[in-house]
Amino acid sequence: MQEEQPTVSTQTANLQTPMAAAAPQSTLLKDLMIPASIVLAGIFVGAGLYFSNGTGGSDVAGAPVPAQPVAQADNTDKVNPISAEDDYFKGNIDAPIQIIEFSDYDCPFCSRFHDVMNAVVEKYPDEVVWTYRHFPIEQLHPQAPAVAIAAECVGELKGNDAFWSFTDTYFVARGSGDKTAHDVLIPRLALEAGVTQAAFTTCFESGEMTARVQADMTNARETGGGGTPWSILIGPSGKTYPINGALPQSAIEQLISVAKAEA
Amino acid sequence: MLLSVSKRVFTQTRYIQIAILVAVLALSVAILLPNVSVIVQVLQSSNIDVAAKLIFLGSMYGALFTNFTLFSALATLAISTLFGINSALLAYYIRRRQAGVSNTGGHTAGVLGVVSGVFGIGCAACGSVIISSFLILFGAGGLLAILPFQGAEFGVLGVLLLSFSIYQLSKRIHDPLVCPS
Repeated sequence: MQEEQPTVSTQTANLQTPMAAAAPQSTLLKDLMIPASIVLAGIFVGAGLYFSNGTGGSDVAGAPVPAQPVAQADNTDKVNPISAEDDYFKGNIDAPIQIIEFSDYDCPFCSRFHDVMNAVVEKYPDEVVWTYRHFPIEQLHPQAPAVAIAAECVGELKGNDAFWSFTDTYFVARGSGDKTAHDVLIPRLALEAGVTQAAFTTCFESGEMTARVQADMTNARETGGGGTPWSILIGPSGKTYPINGALPQSAIEQLISVAKAEA
Repeated sequence: MLLSVSKRVFTQTRYIQIAILVAVLALSVAILLPNVSVIVQVLQSSNIDVAAKLIFLGSMYGALFTNFTLFSALATLAISTLFGINSALLAYYIRRRQAGVSNTGGHTAGVLGVVSGVFGIGCAACGSVIISSFLILFGAGGLLAILPFQGAEFGVLGVLLLSFSIYQLSKRIHDPLVCPS
């Protein structure tokens, strides 16, 4: 393709050429300003991402945990292994692909990713096990830790299915825009999941489940989690893959294929 | 003025290519950077064929619909597009200036555009990778929570600054090349 040169008035250019020639160093400096600023901006981007461990905005997928120490990148192998006794899971506990999700009940992106993961587990019931762990970001979602504690109480009192019943219905409610107050919605969903009000209230107010939530949060940060949803896929070979934010189902499926291919 | 500058610049294939390339790169950065670690991991794997790597990479672009709010997705698309246009205009302006006269006004506008684009672009609601990262670095990430739109303001700021930069560059390109007296 013939390149057209930018049009310049010959007369004007001739008038100005001596001036440009009189300050070659200045011109060079100005010319360097553009690439230098781009490089500088690139360094800012890189540094910013490095120090934030690749996370982005606030009420967003991969949202930062404000005022928390930034974890080192790629510590995903420090994730606590899935345990049938300690974890609430969907899928086959002996599946070759494990997906450990650290999530926040009031994060809209976690709600989206919850739908994605439900679809993934439904599609790969024998190949994938998915466990839900807590990573409430209190600074952004002040009630999220309470929801996490409530979910743990439901699970403690009624087991795996009840935990997932509570979790699924909570995300469905919030995902559909249900703005019911937490102190109304939480006990209602707990009752729907099968626990009695008295048992739930006792557990919820005892604070016994707080340590479990805290342990999940600590492990999330140790593994490099800087926001929610933060997930780690473990392949058949034991290799770990970080998933930052709410990836689409197609990306999760591709990552599963990759992990299987690397086995 | 904007129309005439657009006709002058974007009737040339080279500048259309620059605009598209930069816009696609900027959009890719915004969508893929949060997961750069796993992307690098997959791309570097010797056990996966190239086709599988490309399919995986392509699937990651779907994050624009799941990892962004509608507002931030639109802001990111707008910023990427404006960033591409700004870069093409800047390239045109530099070539024209090299052929003619020194004038720092366009540089300033261009640099402003580049920097504002980088600050404005980013993921989801906060609208900026940079701003949030630095806030976190200084332990002030909680500030985002108290902003009315939790950081989405930066996306709007990026769009406004880039639009201003494009306007300034267009003005410089449109104006005759003369020394200010």
